[in-house]
Amino acid sequence: MNLTLKVWRQKNKNDQGRFETYQVQDISSEMSFLEMFDVLNERLINEGKEPIAFDHDCREGICGMCSMHINGRAHGPWAGTTTCQLHMRAFKDGDTITVEPWRASAFPVLKDLTVDRGAFDRIIEAGGYISVNTGNAVDANAIPIPKDKADAAFAAAACIGCGACVAACKNSSAMLFVSAKVSQLALLPQGDPERSTRALNMVAQMDKEGFGSCTNTGACEAECPKEISLTNIARLNREFIRSGFTYEK
Amino acid sequence: MKWSQFFNTSIGKKLLVGATGFFLCSFVLVHLAGNIQLLYKDGGKAFNTYAAFMGHNSLIQFIAWGLKIVIVLHALIALQLTFSNRRARPVKYAISAGNQTSSWYSRQMAVMGSILLVFIVIHLADFWAKFHYAELPTISYEANGEPIKDLYSIVWQVFENPVWVIIYVIGMIGLSFHLIHGFKSAFQTFGLNHVKYNGLISFVGVWLFGILIPIGFAIIPVYILFNH
Repeated sequence: MNLTLKVWRQKNKNDQGRFETYQVQDISSEMSFLEMFDVLNERLINEGKEPIAFDHDCREGICGMCSMHINGRAHGPWAGTTTCQLHMRAFKDGDTITVEPWRASAFPVLKDLTVDRGAFDRIIEAGGYISVNTGNAVDANAIPIPKDKADAAFAAAACIGCGACVAACKNSSAMLFVSAKVSQLALLPQGDPERSTRALNMVAQMDKEGFGSCTNTGACEAECPKEISLTNIARLNREFIRSGFTYEK
Repeated sequence: MKWSQFFNTSIGKKLLVGATGFFLCSFVLVHLAGNIQLLYKDGGKAFNTYAAFMGHNSLIQFIAWGLKIVIVLHALIALQLTFSNRRARPVKYAISAGNQTSSWYSRQMAVMGSILLVFIVIHLADFWAKFHYAELPTISYEANGEPIKDLYSIVWQVFENPVWVIIYVIGMIGLSFHLIHGFKSAFQTFGLNHVKYNGLISFVGVWLFGILIPIGFAIIPVYILFNH
């Protein structure tokens, strides 16, 4: 198929940036969206032009590196899919596709479609961990955990930290990400000792990074490639209220 | 975390917006129950007696001033959140997802809230200010009874004008969409999301607060317009 791409080009953090239009020919419907960009970049390199910078790593939907905003949708039109798993059969011959970087003041554009998601790392550093050494894997039944709790913790832990929630939210809110990271630990006994400080510190860091607040529109859940549920945001709110009202410091 | 820090976080501020919102939801329920008496064709006896009671009972007057403070707090904190949310995305997308990922009214809470705020100011100037501070005709329903202010006639007079009726209906459309999202959203902010209750919360938010109550309010001026 032949397509017209309108791609955001920005030299560096301080550049104004602008859209540039590219024509790509003979694209296979079985290619991934990133492979289509590889084809375009090879051509640009052969023509002596600067290739388009974009983030990618595993290309199998689990690392959370790819991050394109495609025709107004984080990771493109397919539900529960990362950009690397989006295939060109999602588009029709002759389509015009607009590709933009994640837009959020907390995710500054570094170059073209690449943004700095260091804010997420700093939120994790503020409390998204447990401080004890867990040692080797213990026997599965040594610590009893109800199956539904284990399943909910696992579903929250599926978050790959790609930032699609921030990109999709009209407020650039990071609540879905933070709530997934708080939930995966709050639901398990290992996470219990640091529950209070975790919720308070991670939310404080989230605010400090300049993410917006949640208005419960549900756009994050709709766009999340791992289909993280809004129930996690309610759990984060409960954790935060509980900690704020009971934690003594 | 101190209380001042707690309520200064994004979630803390949202909790204040949600709590004040719940209080305002309870108010619209009571307000409608009182206002529906405007539809009685009893020469205003029920409504005027009720208005006189509400206007003179000191506990109700205390709550009424509290209510005004709550409205201002709700609006100010929500505005502050709206502005900080706007700052969180300084460069907009060329193409946005629109209604594909969220409902339009859930994204327009600030707009619906602003319509409501303008409406509330107009509404207070129309009736509350007149009732308390202007010279109103009085009426007495019992022989030798104390004359009470005839707000009923004033309301019927105002809604003879279709322009006022339209303004009130627009205000109630704002209320409708504000509450369809707001009621449910406040529960989520308080962490009250549970598979056994979500259906009920959603039903009450949409049908009672989002549709029935705004229609109940809007019916009053429309009925008066066609029956004066």
